[in-house]
Amino acid sequence: MNQGLHRKIGLIVAGICLLLSTSRGGATGSSRAPAVADESLAVIVNQSNPIEDLSLNELRTVFLGERSHWPNGRRITLVMMDPGLAERKAVLRDVCHMGETEFSRHFLQGLFTGEVFVSPKTLSTPVGVRKFVFNVPGAIGYLRASDVNSTVKVIKINGRAPEDPEYPLRIESRSAK
Amino acid sequence: MNESTKLERTNPADPRRRLWKSLGELTARHTSSLLMFMVLCVVLAVGAFMIGDLHTASVQTQKMYAGAVRGLREIGELQYEAQETRRSTLYALTTNDSNLQVEYADQSRGADQLVTDGIKRYLAEARAPREVELGKRLQADWSAYLKVRDEVLASILEGSTKEAVDMDLSGGVPSFERVRQDLEEVKRLYDEQASDQLALVDASSRRSVIRLVGVLSFTLLFASASVWAIQRSKMLNAVRLAKLQMDFVASVSHELRTPLAVICASAQNIADGVVDEKEQLARYGSVIRHHSSQLTELVNQILQFAATHEGRNRYTLRPLEVRSVITSVITNTRELAEEAGAVIEEHIAADLPTIMADFSALCQCLQNLVVNALKYGGKNPGIAVWAMSGHGEKGKADEVWISVEDHGIGIDSAELKQIFEPFYRSPAVTAAQIHGTGLGLPLAKGIAEAMGGKISVVSKLGIGSRFTLHLPAAHPIKLESQNQLEQRVSQS
Repeated sequence: MNQGLHRKIGLIVAGICLLLSTSRGGATGSSRAPAVADESLAVIVNQSNPIEDLSLNELRTVFLGERSHWPNGRRITLVMMDPGLAERKAVLRDVCHMGETEFSRHFLQGLFTGEVFVSPKTLSTPVGVRKFVFNVPGAIGYLRASDVNSTVKVIKINGRAPEDPEYPLRIESRSAK
Repeated sequence: MNESTKLERTNPADPRRRLWKSLGELTARHTSSLLMFMVLCVVLAVGAFMIGDLHTASVQTQKMYAGAVRGLREIGELQYEAQETRRSTLYALTTNDSNLQVEYADQSRGADQLVTDGIKRYLAEARAPREVELGKRLQADWSAYLKVRDEVLASILEGSTKEAVDMDLSGGVPSFERVRQDLEEVKRLYDEQASDQLALVDASSRRSVIRLVGVLSFTLLFASASVWAIQRSKMLNAVRLAKLQMDFVASVSHELRTPLAVICASAQNIADGVVDEKEQLARYGSVIRHHSSQLTELVNQILQFAATHEGRNRYTLRPLEVRSVITSVITNTRELAEEAGAVIEEHIAADLPTIMADFSALCQCLQNLVVNALKYGGKNPGIAVWAMSGHGEKGKADEVWISVEDHGIGIDSAELKQIFEPFYRSPAVTAAQIHGTGLGLPLAKGIAEAMGGKISVVSKLGIGSRFTLHLPAAHPIKLESQNQLEQRVSQS
């Protein structure tokens, strides 16, 4: 009797977990409809960089330091924001598919083994990120679309510009916080 | 008749001649005032010149400041900002903190923008070929340095410190050194310009001082000369006046002494009983009366002149018939004319307008002219009195001209200016023992002017003289009003 009850409870819990996991997987998928309070997270490069478009996979390769140079020969400099900031969290989640610890471990391990060629630069403000990318021809970083200006160049992801509703990188807007 | 025609040709109312004459008289009368006016004009001109000179010096100083001094100040700022550009870049090398590195990069870019703008301004203001060439070179060298600086900054931010240092040493240092030399050259150029401008200002200042001293000396000399001339003129006038007064006293004494001597002698004879017959006594009485009246007339003339000269006489102007005045004058002087054996002819134009004058004063004035004509008529005693209407000066009313013409000794043209001056007596008439006080003509002139008229004279030595009295014609309306007024007065 007890065993039967326990089995039933176990099935119910497993079902709920499955439902929850399914619903989370849908939320992180590329086909998720934009939330009302969301805004795009733009990926920016230096104005001199000829790159226009990257796929999400290519972007992941770049952000995990597995690619060292741009097609024009310029060394890639990865610009990240300080841990804990929403922009960084969104990139780790949607581009790297990693948590903070996993990301740090990846770079420590990669640099040690030689699989990772680029050590990310960390900046604390969106303005700092923008100025860094403006000054360094091979830099790549990310900013909320509202923080972007003409000093940097925004690239498309999967052929979608940040103003496109199907743009894959979203972040909760500041006003919604 | 011929002489008369000659005199007629010279119109006494010729405007140009009268203008010159008036100007001459005015100048003679107001020499002191004119000299003072000239001194004032010179002082004003000197003041204006000095102000102009100071203004020029001020403009030159301003130009110097606007050019070289401001340029030097700006180039100093450029040098500082260029150093700041490089300094900020090097500061970025001293830290590993990307946030700080970005901040230094930002500072470097801010400073380099100021330098770029400053170079543009310098080029825009450059005029001399050397300035333009230097400006372009500075611009090119600065751009070259900025290219290296951008690469160095990028390397620093990427974390490639060694690469950044190598790049700076190989490219940044030499290119910045070129910029520094360019800026030093620009500064030297401004220094040279400032020295040139300073020399110009100095020369201008020296010139101003010399000019100022010269002009002040000239003004001082001119003013001194003017004061001396004024004093001398006043002194000469005083001496001349004193001489005239002495002459007058002598003349008057003589004029007084003759009738007084006659009167005294006659009275003495009567007192001594030399004269006992009734007929003889009557003759003595007549002589005494005649000379007494001469004395009275002389004293009256002197008093009247004094009154006219001081402006104490007040004339009552009213419309007068010219004919009645002339008739009265001829009647008064008939006895004198007969004594001189002269005949006075009247030539009075028909339809002559009335004149505005005081009857007794006008008679006195005209009588003086007639008496003069009799006195200086010489051996040809013919005297003519003309009266005609004439045109006044431009913008003035019509006039009546009354001329007294003689064919006597005439007046030297050099003396024509002086005959209306009080106490003046021509040396020729004094030598000819023609007695007089020198007051007749000044008195006549004073009366004519007091009545709004004047006296003109035309004379030729040995041919004769013509004195013309110009008097304004009475306006018909005025005459009518006067008549109406008189009627109303008589009615009331």
